[in-house]
Amino acid sequence: MHNSSQPRTDAPSAASEPVIEVRGLAKEYRVFDKPEGLMASVTGLFNRKSRVVEALRGVDLRVEKGEFVAMLGPNGAGKTTFLKLLSGIITPTRGSATVLGSVPWERTDDFRRRFALVMGQRNQLWWDLPAAESFRLHKEIYRIDTPRFERTRDELVDLLDVRKLLLRPVRDLSLGERMKLELVAALLHEPEVLFLDEPTIGLDVVAQHALHRFLAHVQAERQMTVILTTHYMKDVAALCKRLVVVTQGSILYDGSLEQIVDRFTSHKIVTLDLDAPPDRAAIDRLGFPCEIRGPQVILRIDRTRIADVLPGILRGQGVRDVSVEDVPLEEIVAEMFRSGSTAGTDGATGAPR
Amino acid sequence: MTRYLSIFLTFARACLVRDMTFRANFVLECVTSLGWMAMNLAFYLLVFTFTPEIGRGTGWTKEPFFAFVATGLIINSIVQALFMPSAEELTEMVRTGGLDGILVQPLDAQFLLSMHRVDFSAFANGLVGVGLLAWAIPRLPQVPHPVAILLYPLLIACGVAILYSLVIMLAAATIHLGRNQSLYDFWFYLTNFSRYPAEIYSGPWGGPLRALCTFVIPILLVVNVPARVIAQPLTGQGGMMVAGTVFAAGAALGISRWVFLAALSKYRSASS
Repeated sequence: MHNSSQPRTDAPSAASEPVIEVRGLAKEYRVFDKPEGLMASVTGLFNRKSRVVEALRGVDLRVEKGEFVAMLGPNGAGKTTFLKLLSGIITPTRGSATVLGSVPWERTDDFRRRFALVMGQRNQLWWDLPAAESFRLHKEIYRIDTPRFERTRDELVDLLDVRKLLLRPVRDLSLGERMKLELVAALLHEPEVLFLDEPTIGLDVVAQHALHRFLAHVQAERQMTVILTTHYMKDVAALCKRLVVVTQGSILYDGSLEQIVDRFTSHKIVTLDLDAPPDRAAIDRLGFPCEIRGPQVILRIDRTRIADVLPGILRGQGVRDVSVEDVPLEEIVAEMFRSGSTAGTDGATGAPR
Repeated sequence: MTRYLSIFLTFARACLVRDMTFRANFVLECVTSLGWMAMNLAFYLLVFTFTPEIGRGTGWTKEPFFAFVATGLIINSIVQALFMPSAEELTEMVRTGGLDGILVQPLDAQFLLSMHRVDFSAFANGLVGVGLLAWAIPRLPQVPHPVAILLYPLLIACGVAILYSLVIMLAAATIHLGRNQSLYDFWFYLTNFSRYPAEIYSGPWGGPLRALCTFVIPILLVVNVPARVIAQPLTGQGGMMVAGTVFAAGAALGISRWVFLAALSKYRSASS
């Protein structure tokens, strides 16, 4: 996957027919600025000022069957807009897209029967009714025959351990319980493509973990193609092999999780546990950026020099323990977001460090 | 068609389950609605203590007029029960982005948006309307012609179709505006014109208003034509009105469909 400004990409380049193929997809919105104050509001009734916001700036995408792709980006990056376009909820300003061979915004019933969209911030179950009633409606809408419906429902309900919640009104459920039932509803018709828009937002760690296990299991078993948008690196690390980083409507990176570390960081984190707090001057003499926390020293060392310099460091007195780690993914992505924001203003894409 | 009927019945069942969950609210809605209707009927009875007929020579004496009122109650209760709750909810769905969930479902969006909520309490007025009609018909100056009895349900359906089309067009405006909380008010103002016999719209102001509400927004056809067919003798002019009403219903459905689809293509969803 890549955008029109050619970011680095490590995406698989299979020759098979892609499940999702997007070319130059762009979405612009005209928004009206509302000035502050009473007079300005009254004037605004007659003369409104508007501007065009580019939510998505010509994105290209190719996703193969069975891929689990994560889209990561700050608020307003264009992730949800992208999913709305692929779901056919909105129409693009420019560009083309096919999902399962259909143009999403033509909204054919055949296409809509083959995918599902779950939005973490929207409730799609009937609020005042038990989820079982929503499932029954779903069965009718998606024309699921009774034996298949019962088999799928029971399987999903057991996987998520939510059988006891089926007869409780949705409004009485916790956020985590509700999201589990939203997922069951979305998967009842056994979609080939699943769009997940921040499904773990607001959930506690236990609920997040349960959803991770469930999604990983169902995706692997059904060979479903999934696009997940999220702010949480935990979601990405637990579920996806392929990561797409988006900022300001453009894609900064598209590739594997492993390679993002190689491509976007030039150093590793070396943590030394010493017998006692070290002499600051001695540590500075090593010549690497460092942080000292009591007896612990954290060094950022160029990955190409690790093998050369580490023995010397370890020979220093008082090293009780040492660890060498990659820069945390959160840190890499945060830096990409920052560089992407800057890049957005000068027309370049984020550069590797 | 069978599938859509089956889905509608499933929606209706879910709505009934919900209404029964909030039984006190359901009973209160029925009582409020019946109370408002009882006040209207009392007002009409009061009017007939002053005059034997609404408009000289119009034929709208007490019993025919109550057949007219009954027809209005039946048509309005069908619209209020089947379409208004969904249309009113659309305003909120557009503002909050809830419409997204409807658009991804493999069903006609207009069907889903206009019929996914059923307000069973609104049928209370319709039942009273049926009772009132049953009271009025044996007391009419003439027995309704068998053709009139056959035409009556068709014209009721046409009246419902015209009102439904108006609801859909008003709801479609919501998609453009993003927020349209005056939907119900506007609906009330419009349908107010349909509550009385067309003959009251006469004179320098009434004439143009009658033409507007017959040929541009055919709101006057909704109750007047079926009520006239059942409560007054069939005439040649009545035949023209019947044909006009059937045509108006078809045209209204077609235009409202076009307006709805055009509005939907402009839908921009709400930020999440």
